[in-house]
Amino acid sequence: MPIVSPLATIHNAIVTDRRVLAPGVVLLGFDAPDLVAVTRPGSFVMVVPPSGESAATALGVYEADGRRASILFFVVGKRTEELSRISEGEKIGVVGPLGNGFTIGSERDVAIVAGGVGIASVLLPAQAYVRTGARVRLYYGARTTELLVERERFAHEGCEVLVATDDGSLGHAGYVTSLLAQTDRRPDVILACGPTPMLRAVASVASDMHVPAQLSLEETFACGVGGCWGCVVPIVNTSAQAPSFPPAERNGSDVVYARVCKEGSVFWAHELRW
Amino acid sequence: MVNDVITAREIDVSVRLGKLELAYPTLMGSGCYGSGEEYAPFVDLSKIGAVVLKSVTRQPRLGNPTPRLVHTPSGMLNAIGLQNPGIEWYLEHDVAKFAQRPCTIIGSVAGFSVDDYAYTCEKLAARNEIKAIELNISCPNVASEGETFACDPNLTANVVRAARATTDKTLIVKLSPNVTDIASIAREAERAGADALAVINTVRGMAIDVDMWRPRLGNVTGGLSGPAIRPIAVLAVYEVARAVKIPIVGQGGIETAGDALEFFLAGASAISIGTANFTDPRVPLRIVDELRAYLAKRGLRSLQQIVGKANVGFANPHQYEGDEG
Ligand SMILES: Cc1cc2nc3c(=O)[nH]c(=O)nc-3n(C[C@H](O)[C@H](O)[C@H](O)COP(=O)(O)O)c2cc1C
Ligand code: FES
Repeated sequence: MPIVSPLATIHNAIVTDRRVLAPGVVLLGFDAPDLVAVTRPGSFVMVVPPSGESAATALGVYEADGRRASILFFVVGKRTEELSRISEGEKIGVVGPLGNGFTIGSERDVAIVAGGVGIASVLLPAQAYVRTGARVRLYYGARTTELLVERERFAHEGCEVLVATDDGSLGHAGYVTSLLAQTDRRPDVILACGPTPMLRAVASVASDMHVPAQLSLEETFACGVGGCWGCVVPIVNTSAQAPSFPPAERNGSDVVYARVCKEGSVFWAHELRW
Repeated sequence: MVNDVITAREIDVSVRLGKLELAYPTLMGSGCYGSGEEYAPFVDLSKIGAVVLKSVTRQPRLGNPTPRLVHTPSGMLNAIGLQNPGIEWYLEHDVAKFAQRPCTIIGSVAGFSVDDYAYTCEKLAARNEIKAIELNISCPNVASEGETFACDPNLTANVVRAARATTDKTLIVKLSPNVTDIASIAREAERAGADALAVINTVRGMAIDVDMWRPRLGNVTGGLSGPAIRPIAVLAVYEVARAVKIPIVGQGGIETAGDALEFFLAGASAISIGTANFTDPRVPLRIVDELRAYLAKRGLRSLQQIVGKANVGFANPHQYEGDEG
């Protein structure tokens, strides 16, 4: 996958809208036409904390249309708590777009798997595939019904939506990946974003089905721009996949650590050695 | 009267480290800023003093197992483990690109023996793209030998002397805070030929996952950076400034001009910014603007006028200074 983002920059964006989608789930829209213009499906941004008191937070770009982009996040700690208190009219620093993004190919049948907040990174690829005329099915899992935010939105965008909840309050009771494993329809490609255990399960289901899978990984970031080598994941060592690193024969290992924020955040399941 | 007013733009914020002249006193910390390229889309690199490159070693290094980062109160732990392609590959594939950067590039060398340091330093310093060398003798994240150099005055002297013999370029020696008496190490580094000292590298620390009953970092221990270590770093600069005459590059949790001033007033001639770039890449330029405004307000024409001005010694000298106590 190409490493893009020479056009990334810091946007000083005005927050245009803020919605609480469920308890602890917030959507912030902001005015950033330059960001929208170069955002790709699967791009993420680093949001500068207004207080300047903690590291910036990496968040997937949820929507990108016209002048407006948005982020969707769960309040899980101090940093997202601070972001959740931002209101309309305030300015936020947004660094991006970052990461390589999903590859939108010519597949006719696409499965998108999202777990929890992973939904924030899959609207843009869903829209992109729908535009190519592909059939797009969303497999969407969360702890409970009210956390399955924005599911109508995906249906409205032309996706078929299948849901799973841990507590069985809606749809399949259990993991979204078992829903995927039971499917009657073998997709041509799988795209997934969610917690690491879910991504591992997606990789194994995809491999059983002999379907290629693109996984958008979650890692703890520091810089988010490829400068610190803190966010790495082990991948197979080919020089194409790990720039600036000696190939296997010079390195003495067939595995290297690639940066999730730079060589990723999207990797093909078959290149990962986790 | 009008003639007496100094505008912020006229203020000289330049600094000299050995033979190296920098227009700005801001260095980007090794390992935090890639090779500068990663930040070029966000920052006008011509307005920063220098980028200190990620440390390079003689042999390629895969780096530490994951996870390598943990965010902690007012800072973060890292245990990268010096992931790098090794000096030969680096010279062949990476170094030529540094010539295009609009700022000064300082190489950083790490190693596991005196010979390693001398070998890597000689090869890297020979390149035109590299204007100075920082010796990282204080990485806390590699098998114990790495940091041992900065923890022992004799080993420090041996490494610095060996590296000194390989180049005339400015040699900066990066010291560890994880020692009993940083001043004695600083003195040895100066005596062995260092042109400047970087004070401090990260502070050893760890975090534990109470659900998993395991250390959070793949490497178990890590190096703490960010505002959490700032008071430790300010004291280290203060002590080292009393022990040596060569310039000090102060670092550890600098986020604002106010933070930077603490280091200058303690005795640093320049500063380095690492972790704060992760919060906001605009920090280094903002700090310089605010430093200028601070100096202009006080009618000062040069940043170097304030270096060490708060270094008044200790209330109880025997408690801190030298070996006499
Ligand atoms: C992710 C990370 C990687 C680092 N890697 C190196 C390194 O390779 N070599 C080195 O000399 N220092 C390294 N450091 C230390 C920094 O250069 C700096 O001295 C230290 O973090 C304190 O400054 P700060 O609080 O402004 O970050 C690293 C620090 C961080 C946070
Ligand atoms: S977070 Fe720094 S390299 Fe990815």
